[in-house]
Amino acid sequence: MFKFISAVKKEYLLLLRDKAGIIILFLMPMVLIVIMSLLQEVGWNAIAKEPKVQVLFVNNDADSLGINMENGLRSSGFFDVIDSIDHIPVTQESARAAVKKGDYLIAIVVPRGITQTMRANLRVAVAKTLAGFGMFNPLLVNNIIPKETDTVTLFFDPTIRKAFKNAVVSSIKEFNYQSETGMVFRSFNAEMARQFPAYKPPNIEYKESLRFREVFPSYKEQEEIPTTVQHNVPAWAIFAMFFIIIPLTGSMIKEREEGSLSRLMAMPISYIKLLLAKVTVYFFVCFVQSFLMIISGIFILPLFHIPMLVIGNHIFELIVMIIVTALSALGYGLLVGTIANTHQQAAAFGAVSILILAAIGGIWVPVYLMPTVMRHVAVFSPLNWAISGFYNIFLRHGGLIMILNPAIKLLAFFLVSVFITYIYRKVKSPINI
Amino acid sequence: MAENPIIEIKNLSKIYKGSDEPALNDITLDIYPNEIFGLLGPNGAGKTTTISILCGLFKPTSGNVVIDGFNLSNELGQIKQVIGIVPQDIALYPTLTALENLTFFGNMYGLRGKSLKEMIMNRLTAFGLDRFAKKKISTFSHGMKRRVNLIAGLLHGPKILFLDEPTVGIDVQSKIVILEFLHEINQKGTTIIYTSHYMEEAENLCSRVSILDRGKIISTGNPKELVADHPEFKNLENLFLYLTGKGLRD
Repeated sequence: MFKFISAVKKEYLLLLRDKAGIIILFLMPMVLIVIMSLLQEVGWNAIAKEPKVQVLFVNNDADSLGINMENGLRSSGFFDVIDSIDHIPVTQESARAAVKKGDYLIAIVVPRGITQTMRANLRVAVAKTLAGFGMFNPLLVNNIIPKETDTVTLFFDPTIRKAFKNAVVSSIKEFNYQSETGMVFRSFNAEMARQFPAYKPPNIEYKESLRFREVFPSYKEQEEIPTTVQHNVPAWAIFAMFFIIIPLTGSMIKEREEGSLSRLMAMPISYIKLLLAKVTVYFFVCFVQSFLMIISGIFILPLFHIPMLVIGNHIFELIVMIIVTALSALGYGLLVGTIANTHQQAAAFGAVSILILAAIGGIWVPVYLMPTVMRHVAVFSPLNWAISGFYNIFLRHGGLIMILNPAIKLLAFFLVSVFITYIYRKVKSPINI
Repeated sequence: MAENPIIEIKNLSKIYKGSDEPALNDITLDIYPNEIFGLLGPNGAGKTTTISILCGLFKPTSGNVVIDGFNLSNELGQIKQVIGIVPQDIALYPTLTALENLTFFGNMYGLRGKSLKEMIMNRLTAFGLDRFAKKKISTFSHGMKRRVNLIAGLLHGPKILFLDEPTVGIDVQSKIVILEFLHEINQKGTTIIYTSHYMEEAENLCSRVSILDRGKIISTGNPKELVADHPEFKNLENLFLYLTGKGLRD
């Protein structure tokens, strides 16, 4: 134990003397969190608050459907409806050309007379319905052929994502349904009034019969709306913890290259004890890093008008997740530091592999936004296990049971990494350990 | 030599992975207590490999080694308690002070507390480094680093001290201090096994030497007697060149 403590002290002193390293270890992750949160918050605002996607709107209808559609687009808050370019009213041709050139992403062309056609067809439909009650001559009414439906044309820039395109089409369809439903009511009332002069149409406005309430269920029955911060702080904390492999592998390889490891291996101290001494010191680094990043989320991010990180009441679970995440990162670092022959190899492989594991693990892009194949791949990344655990604490307010699965996986990853490190060193290294 | 050898090497061979030629080829050698034994040879002769195997750093491909009665193959733990090593590299932590380095290496031998600190300060004083105890190794000259490197290997008072080129690249003053110190601890009972390229130094320091070339021992004996046996050579260096040839080595 005494030798182990002495080795820990040595590692601590080595780390303490590397001033630049300390700044990188502690300050950079905090800067990373602030920058990434700012970037994503701005992106979030761009979508949620100030979208104003410019839409060229050609209203050749000039009747209720065209007007409703235009009003609906304007009032949705998502679109900036543009009906003229350089003070010249947009036509179907100019709209098509503008989208083709990439000046605008979307153009909607409502054809002339679409409302009239719809109104006529609805009148026929209503008449056919009422004919069933003997109000019209069924033979006469059934022979009426409805007018061919008009087409609303939408021009899309090829760079538009499918999901966004579907959202636009759905919005337009919704405006259409609203208009159409209103027309059905009005048409029905008009026919009823014609057939029964005593009939007084009810003075009611059609309203949607369904309302929606958005709820994010949590285990405490409290409503927690996820913000970018709830993702960013744990995500980048995990990312920073895994980047510990750069200084860790650097320390291992430096010790090897400078000959200190050879000297130590000729002394009565076990290799695994030396490794664990390194793990102990760098574990505390990870722990302090996480603490600072959480502090950043609570106190620094609000200074930039970014929502504060809400950690909830599961402090114990949070500490458990930080411990197992740090251990898995350190296990991976030991493995890379042992297998790599040079500092350059370790730094390059370490950094790139962490970037890949972060990318596939849902650190940059949440897993649910990934293609199906990548979603299956994501479950193999330790960073994914870690972020799932943190989500369960921050967003779902889950207790120990909720983090058990990711925590066990991360702990197992650490143990397996240390085991492989030891075996690899024993088998492959020329130095007898 | 009536005494039992403190180091018995029998048919020791080492072939590195990926290499066709053996680094050590069937070496048999006995080293006796209180000897200063020199392993001499050109680059690639097998000196460092021999020392590394004796210290338990490398596993031999074949052969048997017994050190102070302990078999290297299964009693390495006991061997590590009685040996000290001074590697060719400056195996110290540059950002730690001399005192911190030596305290750490002393701790690894189980030494601690006031007695360790006193021992460190005594050694540093003996090597003229007491003023620099709290200075970082990175600020030291090469000669100073070599001296600290040597102290780190003998803090625990080893019975057997392995030195791999301890005087390479240092000034005459540092060299004299180191060699005098080696003499002194040898007088007090430490067996020293030492490699060097400096023939004159070995001739003066060593009680016996082995000249190695291409992994084989080509001659062993007291340096003065070896020279005397070959009157055509006036010193060990000439004999060495005769035995190992003038061809350049890798």
